[in-house]
Amino acid sequence: MEIKVKDQIKSKAPEDILDPNSDYAIIIQNLVKKFDDITAVNDLNLQIKTGELFSLLGPNGAGKTTTINILSGLLKPTKGTVFVGGYDVKKELNHIKEMIGVCPQEAAIYKFLTGKENLDLFGSLQGMPKREIKERSEYLLKLVDFEDASKRKVKGYSGGMLRKLNMLIALIHDPEIAFLDEPTVGMDPRARRNVWEFIASLKNQKKTVILTTHYMEEAEALSDRVGIIDYGELIALGTPKELMQKYEVKNLEEVFLKITGRRILEGI
Amino acid sequence: MNRQRIMALVNMQLKKIIREPAYLFLMLLFPAALTFVFGLAFGTFETGVPGMSQFDMMAPGLFAYACIFIIMIVAQSFTDDRENGLLKRINITPTTSAEFMGSHIISNTILSIIQVAIVTICSLLIGFRPEGGIGGFLLAFIFIVLLSVCSVGFGLITASISKSSGTATGLSFLFILPQMFFGTFIPLTDTTRLIAAVLPSYYATDALSLVFTGTPLIDLAIWIDLLILLAMSAAIIILGILIFKKYGKI
Repeated sequence: MEIKVKDQIKSKAPEDILDPNSDYAIIIQNLVKKFDDITAVNDLNLQIKTGELFSLLGPNGAGKTTTINILSGLLKPTKGTVFVGGYDVKKELNHIKEMIGVCPQEAAIYKFLTGKENLDLFGSLQGMPKREIKERSEYLLKLVDFEDASKRKVKGYSGGMLRKLNMLIALIHDPEIAFLDEPTVGMDPRARRNVWEFIASLKNQKKTVILTTHYMEEAEALSDRVGIIDYGELIALGTPKELMQKYEVKNLEEVFLKITGRRILEGI
Repeated sequence: MNRQRIMALVNMQLKKIIREPAYLFLMLLFPAALTFVFGLAFGTFETGVPGMSQFDMMAPGLFAYACIFIIMIVAQSFTDDRENGLLKRINITPTTSAEFMGSHIISNTILSIIQVAIVTICSLLIGFRPEGGIGGFLLAFIFIVLLSVCSVGFGLITASISKSSGTATGLSFLFILPQMFFGTFIPLTDTTRLIAAVLPSYYATDALSLVFTGTPLIDLAIWIDLLILLAMSAAIIILGILIFKKYGKI
């Protein structure tokens, strides 16, 4: 136990970035990510509190997915410091992997397995005991009304069903921090509402959720705070209400329009 | 190494073989069909050796032949998983590279055991009567396992240099064809023997031929083959893992 505490203290962000005792799930400081000549993320600074539902908004290609990929350890930052759950992504990725769940933009699912088998597989890969996997998957499947579908092979799933399962896989191990990358793209309005309710339930469980989306109404409905990102730079940050008040507009789409002179959907 | 993670991956990989018709054909039905075709075609050809048909001479090569195709399966499987974002997804979990690679070695070894069983049963049905007894079969099994480890390594190298599963299928023949022609049942000339000397399947076939023709199991030639194949399988799988980690983008 002594080693664990010591390890945690060592792993916390240095004082010049943040007080080690503060309660931030994500700390990003001066993050830069370049792919050859292209700068995908440019000097990003952001702190997300534990239990916060934070939305990263922006058109396609703005740098949202690149940021998520860096936070989940799939990409290495070109410059800057990133802490997830108090751990440095450059040095302590193993600790981070145990506490995060990532729902990728494209459904990454084994199609020859059933929905339930996919959940079992990824639960096992997260190191969950079998009984816990069974209980957790039953709970999740019931919550999103997916019990019958989960018994069928994924090959026959519709786009909306794939997206639902994609998200359940990310949350099978009940992660402390969830990255949901465009979780409702291509869903019909009813299914989207269903997923919104589900995401809101995560917030009630005090989970930290980082949601990327280009659906403004989704961000408005769910988020504690939003960050608007464009060409790799954070151009606005605050609660949806604060941003709308600041720019004297009625919704977040208009906030983006007022700052950039473009509509978010034009970038898609 | 987490046993639960490895077994979950092995389970998934075996289900892929069973549930995907193309893989099922290539891994299980193809060896059976091949054995029957060769058995029917060469089963009555005389070799000059009393009591031995051409097929009896070819059968050891057939064991290796089936195993070589694991290269294509592994290469396709990795590129498919990469294209579908599954390697990324697995990489986000606490699963280590060693666990992931280990699962592939285990599942393909299981597969090669099934292949050996299929080729053995089909060969026996056609009339192949190997010498060597149970000990011979156990030794043959070890050779096939080592050859399947080589195939996993070659498959990883193929997946590393292939951008899509289609390319992987084509490129896997870079490793399949030489082993097929110079390391299984096709008679070798002085020149092709030089090429065969660097092919794992040659050593497996050579040892299996010795074992199945009644050479005593303590014969030095068999154990030299085993030693070379052991060294080759270790080198190829390590090389495969290193190349995949460096170039096989997830």
